Amino acid sequence: MHRVRLGVMSVLLTLAVVATAFVPPASAQEAARPRSKAPADARLDFVDIADGARLPGKFVVRFALSGMEVAPAGLPQPNAGHHHILIDTELPPLDQPIPSDFNHLHLGSGQTEIEVVLPAGRHTLQLLFADHDHVPHDPPVMSRRITVEVGEEPQEQARVAAAPGARVFFVDLVDGATIPTRSIIRFGAEGVALSPAGTKHPNGGHHHLLINTALPPLDHEIPSDFNHVHFGRGQTEAEITLPPGEHTLQLLLGDHDHVPHDPPLMSPRIRVRVVEGEQLASAAQPATRPDGRPALTPAPPDAAVYFIYPRDGDVIFPSSTVRFGLRNMGVAPAGVAKPNTGHHHLIINAPTPPLDEAIPADLNHIHLGGGQTERRITLPRGEHTLQLIFTDENHVPHDPPILSERIRVTVAPGGKRPEKRR
Amino acid sequence: MTPCRRSRLSLAALLAAAMPLVALAAGANPALAQSAPGRQPAPKGAEVYFHYPLDGLRVPERFTVRMGLKAMGLAPAGTEWSNTGHHHLLINTDPGPPDQPIPADYNNIHLGNGQSEVVVTLPKGRHTLQLLLGDHNHVPHDPPVMSRKITVYVR
Repeated sequence: MHRVRLGVMSVLLTLAVVATAFVPPASAQEAARPRSKAPADARLDFVDIADGARLPGKFVVRFALSGMEVAPAGLPQPNAGHHHILIDTELPPLDQPIPSDFNHLHLGSGQTEIEVVLPAGRHTLQLLFADHDHVPHDPPVMSRRITVEVGEEPQEQARVAAAPGARVFFVDLVDGATIPTRSIIRFGAEGVALSPAGTKHPNGGHHHLLINTALPPLDHEIPSDFNHVHFGRGQTEAEITLPPGEHTLQLLLGDHDHVPHDPPLMSPRIRVRVVEGEQLASAAQPATRPDGRPALTPAPPDAAVYFIYPRDGDVIFPSSTVRFGLRNMGVAPAGVAKPNTGHHHLIINAPTPPLDEAIPADLNHIHLGGGQTERRITLPRGEHTLQLIFTDENHVPHDPPILSERIRVTVAPGGKRPEKRR
Repeated sequence: MTPCRRSRLSLAALLAAAMPLVALAAGANPALAQSAPGRQPAPKGAEVYFHYPLDGLRVPERFTVRMGLKAMGLAPAGTEWSNTGHHHLLINTDPGPPDQPIPADYNNIHLGNGQSEVVVTLPKGRHTLQLLLGDHNHVPHDPPVMSRKITVYVR
Protein backbone atom coordinates (compact mmCIF):
# COMPACT_ATOMS: atom_id res chain seq x y z
CA MET A 1 0.00 0.00 0.00
CA HIS A 2 1.29 3.38 -0.90
CA ARG A 3 2.06 5.86 1.77
CA VAL A 4 0.91 9.26 0.76
CA ARG A 5 2.11 12.65 1.69
CA LEU A 6 -0.39 15.40 2.06
CA GLY A 7 -0.03 19.08 1.75
CA VAL A 8 -2.65 21.62 2.49
CA MET A 9 -2.11 24.56 0.21
CA SER A 10 -2.42 28.01 1.56
CA VAL A 11 -2.91 30.42 -1.26
CA LEU A 12 -1.15 33.60 -0.28
CA LEU A 13 -2.28 36.68 -2.08
CA THR A 14 0.06 39.42 -3.04
CA LEU A 15 -1.46 41.29 -0.15
CA ALA A 16 0.22 38.87 2.20
CA VAL A 17 3.54 40.47 1.35
CA VAL A 18 2.66 43.18 3.82
CA ALA A 19 1.29 40.81 6.41
CA THR A 20 4.21 38.42 6.30
CA ALA A 21 6.86 41.10 6.21
CA PHE A 22 9.80 40.02 8.24
CA VAL A 23 10.95 42.17 11.13
CA PRO A 24 14.55 41.47 12.09
CA PRO A 25 15.02 41.48 15.87
CA ALA A 26 17.05 44.40 17.18
CA SER A 27 19.92 42.15 18.30
CA ALA A 28 20.40 40.93 14.75
CA GLN A 29 21.72 44.28 13.59
CA GLU A 30 25.30 43.80 14.86
CA ALA A 31 26.12 40.08 14.89
CA ALA A 32 26.87 38.42 11.56
CA ARG A 33 24.51 35.55 10.88
CA PRO A 34 25.66 32.11 9.72
CA ARG A 35 25.27 31.91 5.96
CA SER A 36 24.01 28.81 4.17
CA LYS A 37 26.28 27.39 1.50
CA ALA A 38 25.30 27.67 -2.13
CA PRO A 39 26.68 25.58 -4.98
CA ALA A 40 29.16 27.53 -7.08
CA ASP A 41 27.14 26.98 -10.24
CA ALA A 42 23.84 28.33 -8.86
CA ARG A 43 22.49 31.08 -11.12
CA LEU A 44 19.67 33.57 -10.76
CA ASP A 45 18.42 35.98 -13.40
CA PHE A 46 15.36 37.77 -14.70
CA VAL A 47 13.09 36.12 -17.24
CA ASP A 48 12.25 38.38 -20.17
CA ILE A 49 13.38 41.61 -18.53
CA ALA A 50 16.63 42.94 -19.97
CA ASP A 51 18.80 45.79 -18.80
CA GLY A 52 17.39 49.04 -20.20
CA ALA A 53 13.95 47.51 -20.90
CA ARG A 54 10.90 49.75 -21.15
CA LEU A 55 8.07 48.41 -18.99
CA PRO A 56 4.44 49.33 -18.29
CA GLY A 57 3.56 50.66 -14.85
CA LYS A 58 2.45 47.19 -13.79
CA PHE A 59 4.56 44.20 -14.75
CA VAL A 60 5.34 40.69 -13.64
CA VAL A 61 8.82 39.75 -12.51
CA ARG A 62 9.70 36.09 -13.07
CA PHE A 63 12.83 34.34 -11.91
CA ALA A 64 15.17 31.97 -13.68
CA LEU A 65 16.87 29.95 -10.98
CA SER A 66 19.20 27.05 -11.61
CA GLY A 67 21.17 24.88 -9.22
CA MET A 68 18.91 25.58 -6.24
CA GLU A 69 15.35 25.05 -5.07
CA VAL A 70 12.68 27.49 -3.92
CA ALA A 71 11.31 26.88 -0.42
CA PRO A 72 9.15 29.06 1.82
CA ALA A 73 10.96 31.23 4.36
CA GLY A 74 11.40 29.66 7.77
CA LEU A 75 12.13 26.13 6.54
CA PRO A 76 15.83 25.32 6.83
CA GLN A 77 16.63 23.19 3.80
CA PRO A 78 19.95 22.62 2.05
CA ASN A 79 20.36 24.24 -1.38
CA ALA A 80 17.10 26.12 -1.05
CA GLY A 81 15.82 29.57 -0.30
CA HIS A 82 13.38 32.21 -1.39
CA HIS A 83 13.49 35.18 -3.72
CA HIS A 84 13.89 38.87 -2.93
CA ILE A 85 13.63 41.79 -5.31
CA LEU A 86 15.70 44.86 -4.56
CA ILE A 87 14.12 47.95 -6.07
CA ASP A 88 16.07 51.20 -6.35
CA THR A 89 18.55 50.13 -3.71
CA GLU A 90 22.12 48.87 -3.25
CA LEU A 91 22.95 45.35 -2.10
CA PRO A 92 22.29 45.00 1.65
CA PRO A 93 25.04 43.52 3.91
CA LEU A 94 25.35 39.88 2.89
CA ASP A 95 25.79 38.48 6.42
CA GLN A 96 22.53 40.00 7.66
CA PRO A 97 18.88 39.18 6.99
CA ILE A 98 17.65 41.16 4.00
CA PRO A 99 15.62 44.10 5.31
CA SER A 100 11.91 44.11 4.66
CA ASP A 101 10.64 47.40 3.38
CA PHE A 102 9.33 49.00 0.24
CA ASN A 103 12.68 48.55 -1.49
CA HIS A 104 13.21 44.91 -0.55
CA LEU A 105 10.34 42.67 -1.58
CA HIS A 106 10.31 39.27 0.13
CA LEU A 107 8.68 36.37 -1.64
CA GLY A 108 8.60 34.45 1.58
CA SER A 109 6.02 31.85 0.69
CA GLY A 110 8.14 30.52 -2.13
CA GLN A 111 6.50 32.46 -4.98
CA THR A 112 8.28 32.29 -8.31
CA GLU A 113 6.70 35.39 -9.78
CA ILE A 114 5.28 38.63 -8.50
CA GLU A 115 3.44 41.59 -9.95
CA VAL A 116 5.23 44.85 -9.33
CA VAL A 117 3.77 48.32 -9.81
CA LEU A 118 6.19 51.21 -10.09
CA PRO A 119 5.69 54.90 -10.80
CA ALA A 120 6.86 56.18 -14.17
CA GLY A 121 10.58 56.81 -14.44
CA ARG A 122 13.91 55.05 -14.14
CA HIS A 123 14.25 52.24 -11.61
CA THR A 124 16.83 49.63 -10.74
CA LEU A 125 15.94 46.01 -10.08
CA GLN A 126 18.07 43.23 -8.67
CA LEU A 127 17.24 39.71 -7.53
CA LEU A 128 18.80 38.25 -4.41
CA PHE A 129 18.20 34.73 -3.14
CA ALA A 130 18.32 34.06 0.59
CA ASP A 131 17.97 31.15 2.96
CA HIS A 132 15.20 30.33 5.46
CA ASP A 133 16.51 33.09 7.72
CA HIS A 134 16.48 35.72 4.92
CA VAL A 135 20.30 35.73 4.96
CA PRO A 136 21.93 35.57 1.49
CA HIS A 137 23.87 32.40 0.71
CA ASP A 138 27.62 32.04 0.52
CA PRO A 139 28.50 32.79 -2.28
CA PRO A 140 25.45 35.02 -2.79
CA VAL A 141 23.03 33.87 -5.47
CA MET A 142 21.92 37.04 -7.19
CA SER A 143 21.27 38.62 -10.53
CA ARG A 144 22.89 41.66 -12.10
CA ARG A 145 21.40 44.99 -11.13
CA ILE A 146 19.42 46.18 -14.15
CA THR A 147 17.92 49.55 -14.93
CA VAL A 148 14.44 49.71 -16.41
CA GLU A 149 12.39 52.57 -17.74
CA VAL A 150 8.79 52.49 -16.51
CA GLY A 151 6.40 54.25 -18.85
CA GLU A 152 3.40 56.40 -18.12
CA GLU A 153 0.07 54.90 -19.04
CA PRO A 154 -2.37 57.75 -19.38
CA GLN A 155 -5.87 56.45 -18.93
CA GLU A 156 -8.98 58.55 -18.64
CA GLN A 157 -11.51 56.77 -16.48
CA ALA A 158 -15.11 57.67 -15.81
CA ARG A 159 -15.54 58.29 -12.10
CA VAL A 160 -18.42 56.93 -10.08
CA ALA A 161 -20.37 59.60 -8.19
CA ALA A 162 -20.16 59.40 -4.42
CA ALA A 163 -23.39 59.51 -2.40
CA PRO A 164 -23.79 62.74 -0.39
CA GLY A 165 -22.74 62.28 3.22
CA ALA A 166 -20.65 59.18 2.52
CA ARG A 167 -17.27 59.05 4.24
CA VAL A 168 -14.43 56.73 5.17
CA PHE A 169 -12.40 56.92 8.36
CA PHE A 170 -9.96 55.04 10.59
CA VAL A 171 -11.57 53.17 13.46
CA ASP A 172 -9.90 53.75 16.85
CA LEU A 173 -6.87 55.45 15.30
CA VAL A 174 -6.40 59.19 15.57
CA ASP A 175 -3.84 61.62 14.29
CA GLY A 176 -0.68 61.45 16.40
CA ALA A 177 -1.36 57.95 17.75
CA THR A 178 1.49 55.65 18.76
CA ILE A 179 1.26 52.11 17.38
CA PRO A 180 3.56 49.05 17.50
CA THR A 181 5.50 47.85 14.46
CA ARG A 182 2.89 45.20 13.80
CA SER A 183 -0.61 46.60 14.09
CA ILE A 184 -4.09 45.96 12.93
CA ILE A 185 -5.60 48.96 11.20
CA ARG A 186 -9.40 49.07 10.94
CA PHE A 187 -11.26 50.93 8.25
CA GLY A 188 -14.70 52.43 8.66
CA ALA A 189 -17.13 53.45 5.94
CA GLU A 190 -20.43 55.27 6.24
CA GLY A 191 -23.09 55.91 3.62
CA VAL A 192 -21.34 53.71 1.10
CA ALA A 193 -21.37 49.94 0.62
CA LEU A 194 -18.24 47.84 0.58
CA SER A 195 -18.18 45.89 -2.65
CA PRO A 196 -15.28 43.80 -3.91
CA ALA A 197 -13.11 45.11 -6.72
CA GLY A 198 -14.52 44.12 -10.06
CA THR A 199 -18.11 44.15 -8.81
CA LYS A 200 -20.05 47.14 -10.10
CA HIS A 201 -22.19 48.70 -7.43
CA PRO A 202 -24.06 52.02 -7.78
CA ASN A 203 -22.84 53.19 -4.38
CA GLY A 204 -19.98 50.91 -3.45
CA GLY A 205 -16.24 50.69 -3.37
CA HIS A 206 -13.31 49.11 -1.62
CA HIS A 207 -10.65 50.51 0.68
CA HIS A 208 -7.12 51.51 -0.19
CA LEU A 209 -4.58 52.33 2.47
CA LEU A 210 -2.07 54.96 1.44
CA ILE A 211 1.14 54.65 3.46
CA ASN A 212 3.68 57.48 3.44
CA THR A 213 2.44 58.91 0.19
CA ALA A 214 0.46 61.83 -1.13
CA LEU A 215 -2.89 61.34 -2.84
CA PRO A 216 -2.53 59.68 -6.25
CA PRO A 217 -4.22 61.31 -9.28
CA LEU A 218 -7.95 61.04 -8.54
CA ASP A 219 -9.05 60.33 -12.09
CA HIS A 220 -6.81 57.28 -12.43
CA GLU A 221 -6.71 53.79 -11.07
CA ILE A 222 -5.09 53.89 -7.63
CA PRO A 223 -1.61 52.37 -8.02
CA SER A 224 -0.98 49.02 -6.37
CA ASP A 225 2.30 48.92 -4.52
CA PHE A 226 3.62 49.05 -1.00
CA ASN A 227 2.47 52.61 -0.58
CA HIS A 228 -1.00 51.92 -1.94
CA VAL A 229 -2.40 48.76 -0.41
CA HIS A 230 -5.62 47.46 -1.99
CA PHE A 231 -8.35 45.68 -0.10
CA GLY A 232 -10.13 44.43 -3.15
CA ARG A 233 -12.29 41.87 -1.40
CA GLY A 234 -14.01 44.45 0.74
CA GLN A 235 -11.84 43.87 3.81
CA THR A 236 -12.35 46.24 6.70
CA GLU A 237 -9.05 45.71 8.47
CA ALA A 238 -5.47 44.82 7.74
CA GLU A 239 -2.38 43.85 9.67
CA ILE A 240 0.49 46.03 8.59
CA THR A 241 4.12 46.07 9.58
CA LEU A 242 5.94 49.38 9.61
CA PRO A 243 9.49 50.21 10.68
CA PRO A 244 9.78 52.37 13.82
CA GLY A 245 9.44 56.09 13.18
CA GLU A 246 6.89 58.54 11.85
CA HIS A 247 4.52 57.44 9.11
CA THR A 248 1.44 58.83 7.43
CA LEU A 249 -1.70 56.84 6.72
CA GLN A 250 -4.72 57.75 4.64
CA LEU A 251 -7.75 55.84 3.42
CA LEU A 252 -9.07 56.26 -0.10
CA LEU A 253 -12.07 54.39 -1.44
CA GLY A 254 -11.89 53.14 -5.01
CA ASP A 255 -14.72 51.87 -7.21
CA HIS A 256 -14.84 48.51 -9.02
CA ASP A 257 -12.02 49.74 -11.27
CA HIS A 258 -9.94 51.12 -8.36
CA VAL A 259 -10.71 54.69 -9.45
CA PRO A 260 -11.62 57.13 -6.65
CA HIS A 261 -15.18 58.43 -6.53
CA ASP A 262 -16.31 61.92 -7.46
CA PRO A 263 -15.95 63.64 -5.02
CA PRO A 264 -13.29 61.30 -3.60
CA LEU A 265 -14.17 59.36 -0.44
CA MET A 266 -11.08 59.62 1.70
CA SER A 267 -10.04 60.02 5.29
CA PRO A 268 -7.84 62.83 6.54
CA ARG A 269 -4.16 61.94 6.26
CA ILE A 270 -3.03 61.02 9.76
CA ARG A 271 0.42 60.82 11.27
CA VAL A 272 1.32 57.84 13.45
CA ARG A 273 4.42 57.11 15.47
CA VAL A 274 5.56 53.51 15.23
CA VAL A 275 7.52 52.11 18.16
CA GLU A 276 9.14 48.71 18.66
CA GLY A 277 6.81 46.36 20.42
CA GLU A 278 4.30 43.63 20.17
CA GLN A 279 0.73 43.96 19.08
CA LEU A 280 -1.43 46.44 20.98
CA ALA A 281 -4.70 45.70 22.67
CA SER A 282 -6.34 47.23 19.61
CA ALA A 283 -5.59 43.98 17.86
CA ALA A 284 -8.24 42.22 19.87
CA GLN A 285 -11.48 41.69 18.01
CA PRO A 286 -14.00 44.23 19.29
CA ALA A 287 -17.23 42.67 20.49
CA THR A 288 -19.39 45.23 18.77
CA ARG A 289 -19.23 47.51 15.76
CA PRO A 290 -19.33 51.31 16.20
CA ASP A 291 -23.11 51.26 15.71
CA GLY A 292 -23.62 48.71 18.49
CA ARG A 293 -24.33 45.63 16.38
CA PRO A 294 -22.28 42.48 17.10
CA ALA A 295 -18.93 42.32 15.31
CA LEU A 296 -18.67 40.37 12.06
CA THR A 297 -17.24 36.86 12.27
CA PRO A 298 -13.64 36.86 11.04
CA ALA A 299 -12.75 34.72 8.03
CA PRO A 300 -9.33 33.70 6.70
CA PRO A 301 -8.19 36.24 4.09
CA ASP A 302 -7.72 33.54 1.45
CA ALA A 303 -11.16 31.96 1.76
CA ALA A 304 -13.20 32.00 -1.43
CA VAL A 305 -16.52 30.72 -2.71
CA TYR A 306 -17.11 30.00 -6.39
CA PHE A 307 -19.42 28.26 -8.83
CA ILE A 308 -18.34 24.80 -9.92
CA TYR A 309 -21.44 24.75 -12.15
CA PRO A 310 -22.71 26.72 -13.99
CA ARG A 311 -20.02 29.13 -15.12
CA ASP A 312 -20.51 32.71 -16.24
CA GLY A 313 -22.19 32.79 -19.66
CA ASP A 314 -23.34 29.15 -19.62
CA VAL A 315 -26.60 28.08 -21.24
CA ILE A 316 -28.47 25.83 -18.81
CA PHE A 317 -31.63 23.73 -18.64
CA PRO A 318 -34.70 25.14 -16.86
CA SER A 319 -34.03 22.66 -14.05
CA SER A 320 -30.35 22.63 -13.22
CA THR A 321 -28.21 21.76 -10.26
CA VAL A 322 -26.05 24.65 -9.11
CA ARG A 323 -22.87 23.35 -7.48
CA PHE A 324 -20.82 25.41 -5.06
CA GLY A 325 -17.08 25.34 -4.41
CA LEU A 326 -15.45 26.62 -1.24
CA ARG A 327 -11.77 27.19 -0.63
CA ASN A 328 -10.01 27.41 2.75
CA MET A 329 -13.14 27.17 4.87
CA GLY A 330 -15.61 24.51 5.91
CA VAL A 331 -19.37 24.14 5.76
CA ALA A 332 -21.59 23.91 8.82
CA PRO A 333 -25.38 24.03 9.10
CA ALA A 334 -26.90 27.40 10.03
CA GLY A 335 -26.90 27.90 13.78
CA VAL A 336 -23.66 25.97 14.34
CA ALA A 337 -20.97 28.38 15.54
CA LYS A 338 -17.56 26.98 14.65
CA PRO A 339 -14.47 28.95 13.61
CA ASN A 340 -13.79 29.06 9.87
CA THR A 341 -17.13 27.60 8.90
CA GLY A 342 -20.39 28.93 7.54
CA HIS A 343 -23.08 28.10 5.03
CA HIS A 344 -23.90 29.01 1.46
CA HIS A 345 -26.55 31.38 0.09
CA LEU A 346 -27.55 31.44 -3.54
CA ILE A 347 -28.74 34.85 -4.75
CA ILE A 348 -30.88 34.66 -7.89
CA ASN A 349 -31.70 37.76 -9.94
CA ALA A 350 -31.02 40.14 -7.08
CA PRO A 351 -28.22 42.63 -6.45
CA THR A 352 -25.54 41.88 -3.88
CA PRO A 353 -27.27 42.44 -0.51
CA PRO A 354 -25.61 44.58 2.19
CA LEU A 355 -22.61 42.67 3.50
CA ASP A 356 -22.87 43.80 7.11
CA GLU A 357 -26.28 42.35 7.96
CA ALA A 358 -28.14 39.05 7.67
CA ILE A 359 -28.98 37.91 4.14
CA PRO A 360 -32.73 38.27 3.57
CA ALA A 361 -34.67 35.02 3.15
CA ASP A 362 -36.99 35.05 0.16
CA LEU A 363 -37.34 33.46 -3.25
CA ASN A 364 -34.34 35.38 -4.56
CA HIS A 365 -32.09 34.59 -1.60
CA ILE A 366 -31.91 30.84 -1.09
CA HIS A 367 -30.43 29.77 2.24
CA LEU A 368 -28.59 26.47 2.28
CA GLY A 369 -28.93 26.21 6.02
CA GLY A 370 -28.47 22.45 6.14
CA GLY A 371 -24.88 22.70 4.97
CA GLN A 372 -25.72 21.76 1.38
CA THR A 373 -23.10 22.30 -1.29
CA GLU A 374 -25.43 22.08 -4.28
CA ARG A 375 -29.00 23.05 -5.08
CA ARG A 376 -31.41 22.14 -7.85
CA ILE A 377 -33.24 25.21 -9.13
CA THR A 378 -35.92 25.75 -11.78
CA LEU A 379 -35.88 29.01 -13.68
CA PRO A 380 -37.99 30.43 -16.51
CA ARG A 381 -36.52 30.86 -19.99
CA GLY A 382 -34.22 33.85 -20.38
CA GLU A 383 -31.25 35.51 -18.74
CA HIS A 384 -30.64 35.21 -15.01
CA THR A 385 -27.93 36.22 -12.56
CA LEU A 386 -26.55 34.00 -9.82
CA GLN A 387 -24.24 34.85 -6.95
CA LEU A 388 -22.96 32.90 -3.95
CA ILE A 389 -22.47 34.44 -0.54
CA PHE A 390 -20.99 32.44 2.31
CA THR A 391 -22.08 33.59 5.78
CA ASP A 392 -21.68 32.75 9.43
CA GLU A 393 -24.17 30.84 11.56
CA ASN A 394 -26.43 33.92 11.79
CA HIS A 395 -26.58 34.45 8.00
CA VAL A 396 -24.32 37.51 8.34
CA PRO A 397 -21.34 37.69 5.94
CA HIS A 398 -17.87 37.30 7.39
CA ASP A 399 -15.13 39.90 7.62
CA PRO A 400 -13.76 39.95 4.94
CA PRO A 401 -16.95 38.89 3.16
CA ILE A 402 -16.78 35.69 1.12
CA LEU A 403 -18.77 36.00 -2.06
CA SER A 404 -18.53 34.89 -5.64
CA GLU A 405 -18.74 36.93 -8.79
CA ARG A 406 -22.29 37.61 -9.92
CA ILE A 407 -22.56 35.34 -12.97
CA ARG A 408 -25.00 35.49 -15.85
CA VAL A 409 -26.64 32.35 -17.23
CA THR A 410 -29.18 31.80 -19.99
CA VAL A 411 -31.98 29.29 -19.54
CA ALA A 412 -32.92 27.58 -22.79
CA PRO A 413 -35.54 24.84 -22.47
CA GLY A 414 -34.31 21.81 -24.31
CA GLY A 415 -31.96 24.11 -26.14
CA LYS A 416 -28.24 23.99 -26.17
CA ARG A 417 -26.99 21.22 -23.96
CA PRO A 418 -24.73 22.51 -21.23
CA GLU A 419 -21.17 21.40 -21.42
CA LYS A 420 -20.92 17.88 -20.05
CA ARG A 421 -19.11 18.07 -16.80
CA ARG A 422 -18.86 14.46 -15.67
CA MET B 1 -27.87 11.76 -16.69
CA THR B 2 -24.88 9.61 -16.01
CA PRO B 3 -24.46 10.46 -12.32
CA CYS B 4 -27.76 8.77 -11.42
CA ARG B 5 -26.93 5.62 -13.29
CA ARG B 6 -23.49 5.63 -11.77
CA SER B 7 -24.88 6.07 -8.30
CA ARG B 8 -27.12 3.05 -8.62
CA LEU B 9 -24.25 1.07 -9.97
CA SER B 10 -21.93 2.18 -7.22
CA LEU B 11 -24.57 1.56 -4.59
CA ALA B 12 -24.98 -1.97 -5.81
CA ALA B 13 -21.25 -2.48 -5.94
CA LEU B 14 -20.95 -0.99 -2.53
CA LEU B 15 -23.55 -3.23 -0.98
CA ALA B 16 -21.89 -6.22 -2.54
CA ALA B 17 -18.55 -5.08 -1.19
CA ALA B 18 -19.89 -4.21 2.23
CA MET B 19 -21.71 -7.49 2.82
CA PRO B 20 -18.65 -9.72 3.37
CA LEU B 21 -17.04 -6.98 5.42
CA VAL B 22 -20.01 -6.84 7.79
CA ALA B 23 -20.07 -10.59 8.00
CA LEU B 24 -16.34 -10.62 8.64
CA ALA B 25 -16.53 -7.99 11.35
CA ALA B 26 -19.46 -9.69 13.03
CA GLY B 27 -17.82 -13.08 12.78
CA ALA B 28 -14.48 -11.91 14.08
CA ASN B 29 -15.74 -9.88 16.97
CA PRO B 30 -19.47 -10.05 17.52
CA ALA B 31 -19.33 -8.02 20.73
CA LEU B 32 -17.61 -5.13 18.97
CA ALA B 33 -20.05 -5.18 16.09
CA GLN B 34 -23.02 -5.04 18.43
CA SER B 35 -21.63 -2.33 20.69
CA ALA B 36 -20.90 -0.01 17.75
CA PRO B 37 -22.52 3.40 18.11
CA GLY B 38 -25.86 3.83 16.33
CA ARG B 39 -25.51 4.86 12.71
CA GLN B 40 -27.21 7.92 11.32
CA PRO B 41 -29.69 7.16 8.55
CA ALA B 42 -28.76 8.55 5.14
CA PRO B 43 -31.60 10.25 3.25
CA LYS B 44 -32.83 8.65 0.06
CA GLY B 45 -30.88 9.75 -2.97
CA ALA B 46 -27.87 10.88 -0.94
CA GLU B 47 -24.76 10.62 -3.04
CA VAL B 48 -21.17 11.77 -2.78
CA TYR B 49 -19.11 12.20 -5.92
CA PHE B 50 -15.93 13.71 -7.31
CA HIS B 51 -16.08 17.02 -9.16
CA TYR B 52 -12.36 16.62 -9.68
CA PRO B 53 -10.46 14.51 -10.48
CA LEU B 54 -12.47 12.07 -12.56
CA ASP B 55 -11.76 8.38 -13.04
CA GLY B 56 -8.69 7.68 -15.15
CA LEU B 57 -7.43 11.25 -15.16
CA ARG B 58 -3.76 12.17 -15.28
CA VAL B 59 -3.08 14.71 -12.54
CA PRO B 60 -0.05 16.69 -11.31
CA GLU B 61 1.66 15.68 -8.07
CA ARG B 62 -0.19 18.39 -6.17
CA PHE B 63 -3.85 18.75 -6.97
CA THR B 64 -7.13 19.80 -5.43
CA VAL B 65 -9.76 17.17 -4.85
CA ARG B 66 -13.25 18.72 -5.07
CA MET B 67 -16.22 16.88 -3.65
CA GLY B 68 -19.88 17.05 -4.47
CA LEU B 69 -22.68 15.95 -2.18
CA LYS B 70 -26.26 15.40 -3.27
CA ALA B 71 -29.34 15.48 -1.03
CA MET B 72 -27.33 16.06 2.15
CA GLY B 73 -25.41 18.83 3.87
CA LEU B 74 -21.98 19.21 5.37
CA ALA B 75 -21.26 19.76 9.04
CA PRO B 76 -18.00 19.82 10.97
CA ALA B 77 -17.12 16.64 12.84
CA GLY B 78 -18.65 16.65 16.31
CA THR B 79 -21.73 18.55 15.17
CA GLU B 80 -24.75 16.26 15.43
CA TRP B 81 -27.23 17.43 12.83
CA SER B 82 -29.63 15.34 10.82
CA ASN B 83 -28.86 14.69 7.16
CA THR B 84 -25.32 16.01 7.44
CA GLY B 85 -21.84 14.58 7.61
CA HIS B 86 -18.27 15.36 6.70
CA HIS B 87 -16.12 14.11 3.87
CA HIS B 88 -13.35 11.54 4.10
CA LEU B 89 -10.96 10.97 1.25
CA LEU B 90 -9.70 7.39 1.09
CA ILE B 91 -6.41 7.12 -0.74
CA ASN B 92 -5.13 3.73 -1.87
CA THR B 93 -7.28 1.96 0.67
CA ASP B 94 -10.64 0.24 1.03
CA PRO B 95 -13.37 1.42 3.37
CA GLY B 96 -13.37 -0.35 6.72
CA PRO B 97 -16.41 -1.94 8.36
CA PRO B 98 -19.30 0.53 7.87
CA ASP B 99 -20.30 0.44 11.53
CA GLN B 100 -16.89 1.55 12.80
CA PRO B 101 -15.45 5.08 12.84
CA ILE B 102 -13.30 5.80 9.80
CA PRO B 103 -9.65 5.60 10.90
CA ALA B 104 -7.55 8.76 10.73
CA ASP B 105 -4.23 8.14 9.01
CA TYR B 106 -2.34 8.97 5.85
CA ASN B 107 -4.75 6.94 3.77
CA ASN B 108 -7.97 8.21 5.31
CA ILE B 109 -8.08 11.99 5.13
CA HIS B 110 -10.70 13.56 7.39
CA LEU B 111 -12.20 16.85 6.32
CA GLY B 112 -13.41 17.51 9.82
CA ASN B 113 -14.20 21.19 9.48
CA GLY B 114 -16.81 20.61 6.80
CA GLN B 115 -14.49 21.35 3.89
CA SER B 116 -15.60 20.48 0.38
CA GLU B 117 -12.14 20.42 -1.17
CA VAL B 118 -8.62 19.45 -0.12
CA VAL B 119 -5.20 19.77 -1.70
CA VAL B 120 -3.26 16.50 -1.77
CA THR B 121 0.28 15.72 -2.83
CA LEU B 122 0.86 12.21 -4.12
CA PRO B 123 3.96 10.51 -5.48
CA LYS B 124 4.09 9.73 -9.19
CA GLY B 125 2.18 6.67 -10.29
CA ARG B 126 -1.24 5.08 -10.02
CA HIS B 127 -3.45 5.85 -7.03
CA THR B 128 -7.02 5.13 -6.06
CA LEU B 129 -9.33 7.69 -4.49
CA GLN B 130 -12.70 7.17 -2.87
CA LEU B 131 -15.03 9.43 -0.92
CA LEU B 132 -16.89 8.32 2.17
CA LEU B 133 -19.15 10.52 4.26
CA GLY B 134 -18.95 10.15 8.03
CA ASP B 135 -21.35 11.43 10.69
CA HIS B 136 -20.40 13.51 13.73
CA ASN B 137 -18.62 10.46 15.16
CA HIS B 138 -16.82 9.68 11.85
CA VAL B 139 -19.08 6.63 11.42
CA PRO B 140 -20.49 6.06 7.92
CA HIS B 141 -24.22 6.55 7.49
CA ASP B 142 -26.72 3.76 6.97
CA PRO B 143 -26.54 2.97 4.07
CA PRO B 144 -23.01 4.39 3.66
CA VAL B 145 -22.79 7.49 1.47
CA MET B 146 -19.78 6.58 -0.59
CA SER B 147 -18.43 7.31 -4.04
CA ARG B 148 -17.13 4.83 -6.56
CA LYS B 149 -13.41 4.13 -6.24
CA ILE B 150 -11.59 6.02 -8.96
CA THR B 151 -8.06 5.68 -10.31
CA VAL B 152 -5.80 8.63 -11.07
CA TYR B 153 -2.36 8.68 -12.59
CA VAL B 154 0.05 11.17 -11.04
CA ARG B 155 2.53 12.32 -13.65
